[in-house]
Amino acid sequence: MLYELTDIVRNYNGRNVLDLSLSLEKGRVTGLIGPNGSGKTTLLEILAFLGSPTSGGLFYKGSSVDFGKTDLIRLRRSAVLVQQKPILFTRSVFSNVEFPLKIRNVKKNEREKIVNQLLAIVGMERFISAAADKLSGGETQRVAIAQALACSPDVILMDEPTASVDVENRIIIERIIRDINRLRGISVIFTTHDMIQASRIADDIICLNEGKVTESVHENIFGGSIETDAEGVKFCVIQEDLKIPVKTVKSGQVRVFINPDALGIYKCHGDIKAGFSVRGRVIQLSDEKGSIRALVDIGVPLTIIVPFNAARDVLPGIGEDAWITFNPEKIDVL
Amino acid sequence: MTFFLDSFNSALLLLWSLDKDLLVIVSLSLKVSFFSTLISGLAGVPLGLAISMNDFRGKRLVTTVLNTLLALPTVVIGLFVYSFISRRGLLGSMGLLYTPKAMIIGQVILILPIVITLTITALSRIDGRYRKTAMTLGANPFQTAFVIIREARFSILAAIIVAFGRVIAEVGISMMLGGNARGFTRTMTTAMALEFDKGEFTMSVALGIVLLLISFAVNIVLNYFQGKAGD
Repeated sequence: MLYELTDIVRNYNGRNVLDLSLSLEKGRVTGLIGPNGSGKTTLLEILAFLGSPTSGGLFYKGSSVDFGKTDLIRLRRSAVLVQQKPILFTRSVFSNVEFPLKIRNVKKNEREKIVNQLLAIVGMERFISAAADKLSGGETQRVAIAQALACSPDVILMDEPTASVDVENRIIIERIIRDINRLRGISVIFTTHDMIQASRIADDIICLNEGKVTESVHENIFGGSIETDAEGVKFCVIQEDLKIPVKTVKSGQVRVFINPDALGIYKCHGDIKAGFSVRGRVIQLSDEKGSIRALVDIGVPLTIIVPFNAARDVLPGIGEDAWITFNPEKIDVL
Repeated sequence: MTFFLDSFNSALLLLWSLDKDLLVIVSLSLKVSFFSTLISGLAGVPLGLAISMNDFRGKRLVTTVLNTLLALPTVVIGLFVYSFISRRGLLGSMGLLYTPKAMIIGQVILILPIVITLTITALSRIDGRYRKTAMTLGANPFQTAFVIIREARFSILAAIIVAFGRVIAEVGISMMLGGNARGFTRTMTTAMALEFDKGEFTMSVALGIVLLLISFAVNIVLNYFQGKAGD
């Protein structure tokens, strides 16, 4: 096991921004997915040994990490963080990638060789003499990855590596992530907002919300208010003419998390045997490792995951009407 | 007006002839100011870095004290240092009074708060991601500090130049601790004050021209570094 986190809590100004237990395997690409403020960056900083938890246990490669006593510099040299918007030193691209090698006392001719190799891996070799602070967002991200690779780490942690890059650079960065994992055996842990991206490149996906590991992916999180009808059934009113059944003791304003695996989708209303349903229109379909991910407009975009073998029978085509059923038991209300 | 123009012409002639007395005064001024700036830079930049990078109890108090020291009059510093290095003072036996060393001590006290405060300001403008990047790439605290100082280098250099500009033009400390001894502790500003008292305006104006030229050069360099820091 690469990381083992037990009851890790990170508290800022009396608020727990992280409160979870987690195990992360070695040699895998792990995607951490969650909305803003879900604790992804805080978690990455703890995993990179740059920030300490308020309480809880952290084990790295089987050894307990004590942020007050353990040699953190040694650990940091094995787990490198590429920040969400990486910043490069105001030197040349070469000097930036050379920096980790220099502080590790690698000989000059060896440094030159490694820097050239790493820049080739990220496709930035022609920028070797360029001023690093003059590069575009995507180019900066790629040089930052080369810089991280220069550390010969066991794990690279990437905070939203494609959040501020164009499509061309996004494809390149995703390819680099896969390559460094498969060809070099480096574990990669990255955060993203994009479930489709996470399922495309990650071996494992962990969903975070409000500092906790959740089953729901962040796509289906909506704010609303709880109302009870004449029969005593509770609904969450997300917007005018859109309400979904929930089981909760809460009242007033809430947030609901709808697990995309726990929704039903039908071509015709007549196919529905029982339960509450909402009509929508399919606006996107994509393949996702043995499942089909459907995005349905029901007034708000709702993601539904359907097993591949069932998809042919139940899934309407893009632009066609769809009927969605909800299981109140599978809807989390916070 | 004629009197001023006559003095100005005579001063230019004095400069043109590279008058020996004038050169001794200018070189001593530059030497004393250089060493006081150097010492303040070597002490002030790391102190500024330490204050800027660490959160500790009393940090605001330290900043307030440093800001107060920025307004410290040179005569107060002169008196303070005099009380230590005069014959009856704690360090009287070292024979520092009326030497260039005494002037340097006083000037360091004058500009050290300037260097520290401006270093703190310079570092506060440096993006926090530089520190995090250096740390995650495996840099130790000294290597991380070096990275941060390097990124703030133009602003820090500007701070040092401001400090140099302050000491080259000060008169109180040089007069009280140097004693204005000819060829030994006489600086441009103390010489100007003396020549003015004597009614010898030619030397005063010549030294004034040199001082203005130095200030002008310092400002050109300062402008250059401030421009670089803003890039």
